[in-house]
Amino acid sequence: MGMSRSMSVGKSTRNMALFSWLMVMLLVASTARAELLIRITEGADAAIPIAVVPFAESGAMPAGDKVSSVVQADLTMSGEFRPLEPSKMLSLPSKRSEVYFRDWRLLGQRYVLVGELTRNGERIQARYELFDVNREQRILGETAGASVSGIRSLAHHISDRVYEAITGEPGVFSTKLAYITLAINGNESVYRLQVSDIDGQRSKVRLESREPILSPAWSPDGKKLAYVSFETGKPVIFVHELATGERTKVADFPGLNSAPAWSPDGQSLLMTLSRDGNAEIYQMNLASGNTTKLTNHWAIDTEAAWDHAGRGVFFTSDRSGGPQIYHMERPGAEPRRITFGSRYNARARPDSKGEYVYYVHQRESTFHIARRNLKTDEETIITRTGSDESPSVSPNGRMLIYATQQGGKGVLTVVSADGGAAYSLPASEGEVREPAWGPISR
Amino acid sequence: MKGHERDTISTDNAPLKSPVVLSVALHLLIVVFALAGWSWTNPVQEPEPRSISARLISPEPKPSPVVDDQDQRRKDQERRELEEKQRQQAEAERKREQEAEARRQAEEKVKEQARQQEQERKRQEAQARELAEKQAREKEAARKKAEAEAKERERQKAEQERQRQEVAKRKAAEEKRRQEEQRRKEEAERQRKEEEARREAERKRQEAERRLREQQLDALADQALKAQEAEARERREAEAARAREAQMLSESEKYQALIRERLSQAWYPPSSATENMTARLQITLLPTGELASVTLVGSSGNTAFDNSALGAVRSLNRYPVPDSRDTFERYFRQFTIEFNPQRLR
Repeated sequence: MGMSRSMSVGKSTRNMALFSWLMVMLLVASTARAELLIRITEGADAAIPIAVVPFAESGAMPAGDKVSSVVQADLTMSGEFRPLEPSKMLSLPSKRSEVYFRDWRLLGQRYVLVGELTRNGERIQARYELFDVNREQRILGETAGASVSGIRSLAHHISDRVYEAITGEPGVFSTKLAYITLAINGNESVYRLQVSDIDGQRSKVRLESREPILSPAWSPDGKKLAYVSFETGKPVIFVHELATGERTKVADFPGLNSAPAWSPDGQSLLMTLSRDGNAEIYQMNLASGNTTKLTNHWAIDTEAAWDHAGRGVFFTSDRSGGPQIYHMERPGAEPRRITFGSRYNARARPDSKGEYVYYVHQRESTFHIARRNLKTDEETIITRTGSDESPSVSPNGRMLIYATQQGGKGVLTVVSADGGAAYSLPASEGEVREPAWGPISR
Repeated sequence: MKGHERDTISTDNAPLKSPVVLSVALHLLIVVFALAGWSWTNPVQEPEPRSISARLISPEPKPSPVVDDQDQRRKDQERRELEEKQRQQAEAERKREQEAEARRQAEEKVKEQARQQEQERKRQEAQARELAEKQAREKEAARKKAEAEAKERERQKAEQERQRQEVAKRKAAEEKRRQEEQRRKEEAERQRKEEEARREAERKRQEAERRLREQQLDALADQALKAQEAEARERREAEAARAREAQMLSESEKYQALIRERLSQAWYPPSSATENMTARLQITLLPTGELASVTLVGSSGNTAFDNSALGAVRSLNRYPVPDSRDTFERYFRQFTIEFNPQRLR
């Protein structure tokens, strides 16, 4: 009895041991069965390595930058790519059969863009292919053509296609910038409204004035610009048809006529008018010229901009004592202040996705461009420069251009939307200010 | 009854027995009367002991016991006269009696003769009758005897039969008894043997049991020992397994971290990425850390994002994997990588 009892006890402890052993094994088995999961929540804080192999050329090419160089520059400017210097390339393939992925992989490249240009009379044909080095797959292959003079357009087009193939976002390298330059000759100031590629190349003066020109704004179709011109001695809002050069004075009310902003449908403009004595936001129907007053406050309300959905309006108001950003859910609705913690937050520019709003933000005594996450209210300063102003977001929301001071004069700088990379546009003579990023033209 | 009968007979027979006796008796009687007469002359006499007289005269006619006193003197005269008369009468009587006696004796003689003849006849008759009776009796007896003899024979026969049967029975019983005895003996023997066998079996059984118990005890002890050892071994193994597991886990975690780091560095989330995009890739590695295969098992819905993940996974020339083959097999032979940006640029 005692024996059997002790035995049963021994057995039970043995069972316990067995049980725990089984549990351990089960745990092991379950952990073994539950496959290891590694979650990657952060990407490289670096740009994507891409090898833009100089394109093979057949036929005489125009002088100046090579297509591949323009593409390289575009991708670099985006801040999202880190093109490999051609001198480090082991080979210069121009078609798939010449691509040795292993080589590119050894060079740490993710993508390889190869192509060749063929001159065909006054046109240039580009045949190009983009390869994913690691997957050893072609992810893009196309033939595109342009006039000899439009070879940069061809390059920007290729950049757009490459960018989109890799990032899933449309590229904005073919879009345009509008900005104002100021040239001072002696005691003569010359203001110019200019339009250029986003790399600052191929700039064209659209308007020249001895009086200030301010606040250029692109129509959604990219065919028109609205701006404020003091050419009449007072601020007046014009709409300028780029193709024809035709200008229309749309707001010439007593007092202030400023800060035009296009509605997403291009049918109306938001603007600041002080015709009733105080600066308020108005919406003007361009066809009828009728205005609707959207704000009514004793403080200054200005710098209106439609939100990404085209329903609500951001604007700047000093009703709190200093300039702050407010948002109206819909025109005329009660504004809600969205910026805090700084004496100065102005000139809000929302992105096209409704995720962020960018604005001029004063921190201590310097002005930066800040980005606010509209969902989390997280505010990030994305510029490293000082005296930053006039932010303008690229149509894909990935880049931002703003004006800043460099060497005592105003320059334009492009940064990736997160502020990771900055690219200053080549300085032209004089000051550059008030940049406006044009839409993607279809 | 008989006594009385004899008395009667003796009374009847007394005179017959002897005349001498009779005469003696008469004399005696006279003496007695004389004595009585004498005593009566004394008026005051002591009463005669009645017992003596009663005894003697009880068989003869009883004298009148009662005497009238008034008549006494007359009576005495009368009595003396009477007595003289009586004496004369008695003398005469005695002479007549003698003569009577002689006659009676003669008669008696004749009578005796007759009686003897009669007696003889009667005796002969009785003898005849007795003979007949005897014969009848004998016959009867013979019959009875025959009967009895038959009966006896029968009885004897029966008895014999009975006895025979008895004997047979007894014999059978004896035989039975003997057999019984034999059987009993055999039984006893058998029982004894059985008992012996049983005892032997029991002994053997006990022995076997004892041996078995010993074996069992040994086995139990052995088992317990083995169980203890097994338990200890299991515990050691479990500990070792846990330790190994922990080591593997820590090793695994270390290499997971390395892989995570490498992949994070190798991953370029595309501009279009949003925080709710997740691409799941199943990875198969070779023990050398080389990528054997990768499969997109869960798309983010964004091709560029999926490609970025695939590109990242494929970009590593060699995955950091543990040297321990076990750890490798358990965790890194095949695993899943999830790309889900939490902090976009």
